[in-house]
Amino acid sequence: MQPETRMDDALQRECEERIVAIYARCVENQPNFGVSEDALTASLQRSLQRFLGSGGHTVSPDGVSDFLDQIQADDLHLALACANGNERAWWEFDQQHRSYMERVARHLAKTEADAQDVIDSVYVELYGTKVVDGERISKFSTYSGRGSIRGWLRTVIWHSLVDLHRAGHDEVSLDEMTETIGEGAAHASFADQPADGESEMIEEITRERYRKATVSAIASAFAGLDDHEKLLLLYYHVENLKLREIAKMCENESSPLRGWFQRKTQTRETGGRTHESTVMRWLEKSYARVLELFRKELGESHSFSADEIRQCVELATQDLTTGNIFAGLSTG
Amino acid sequence: MTNANNMTAEETKLQGILAAYLTSRKEEAPATPHLDHDTLAAFTEGTLNERETAPAVSHLVECSYCRHITAELVRLDLAFADEPMMARTGSETEKPTKVSQVLSGLFEKIFGSSENAVFAHEEKKDDEKKEDDEKQN
Repeated sequence: MQPETRMDDALQRECEERIVAIYARCVENQPNFGVSEDALTASLQRSLQRFLGSGGHTVSPDGVSDFLDQIQADDLHLALACANGNERAWWEFDQQHRSYMERVARHLAKTEADAQDVIDSVYVELYGTKVVDGERISKFSTYSGRGSIRGWLRTVIWHSLVDLHRAGHDEVSLDEMTETIGEGAAHASFADQPADGESEMIEEITRERYRKATVSAIASAFAGLDDHEKLLLLYYHVENLKLREIAKMCENESSPLRGWFQRKTQTRETGGRTHESTVMRWLEKSYARVLELFRKELGESHSFSADEIRQCVELATQDLTTGNIFAGLSTG
Repeated sequence: MTNANNMTAEETKLQGILAAYLTSRKEEAPATPHLDHDTLAAFTEGTLNERETAPAVSHLVECSYCRHITAELVRLDLAFADEPMMARTGSETEKPTKVSQVLSGLFEKIFGSSENAVFAHEEKKDDEKKEDDEKQN
């Protein structure tokens, strides 16, 4: 558990004022949810502690205000009320979200029966059947309001479906469970050509040297990228996300991912959606960076000339048509 | 693969090499704990603040499990992007009977008849009830 981050007086005051205002607004919108100010305050304070504890630099009162302003307060209010078992809140929740949840479950599940099982199981989890120290533990108490409640429900439903799948199959590792898409590299080994004569043998030794250097250099180049660039490339090549799907993730104007790439590429889109072409530009910048690091690694660590580097790229490209030169890699 | 119009021939070839490398590399167990539902959902929606995004991004680079979940959530998000939210009802006169029925039905399925079900619902204390009544008035 993270140690509590102490706030100075100015920060503390800012927090208290904001939380009081948030509570007043929530109660005005839904006066019958029966959520106490203490309960909402406790939830927001927990989220605030995580926020303050997650970075190195200190946060200004404005930073705290921005954080609290971004909380989906009405959704959080609903969740807290449901966690308390408030009937009015449950009715609102059911009205607003049940049919959506059913559609999501049907979209993900293979059969209608599975979809219904998942919804039933999610509802039970949300209500909570476990009692600890006299208190019912509802899944709603884990919702913090940092994202929308619908986004959170999608995650809960997805996980519930994974659990349902697991229950019906033999024990499956986490890695195996994530293998459904995007992992389709062939597992062929290097193309083994018997050396026929000395010159062919020397050529083969040179090619082996180039192959090993290429594997090492590409790993090093990737490791040299910033985390955001790595994640973008992993989403595109490993998770097989399409450009529009990546764009969707960066759609929110205040999305830090979007902000990071815009700063990096010195582009700035205003007014809403990130375009697919923008994501493409981000990818192209990343490839250019990988190539730069790749060349640098081969030049410095392996003392390859520009021509040898070009040959490494050619050879690796040819090898890829017959198999995967990276099969048998242990770690990145 | 991306449209190679803006990439040199060498960059295009490197793209293929990089793709093969990324799909082959095996990741070690991540150094940080898996992201919880709350963080995964907020990250996918782009509502996680910058301070919290950095450690989340670092974890997602290392952890194929959490990364795969976020990829699935983005696809779900897109699939349901045009779903309208139900309008909030503020009516005082509509009685919330449906939820009790819903929950009763669920517990009946799980535990058998509802007579056998134990609702883990704590009765409110008298002063809490009084406070609620006062708020409603």
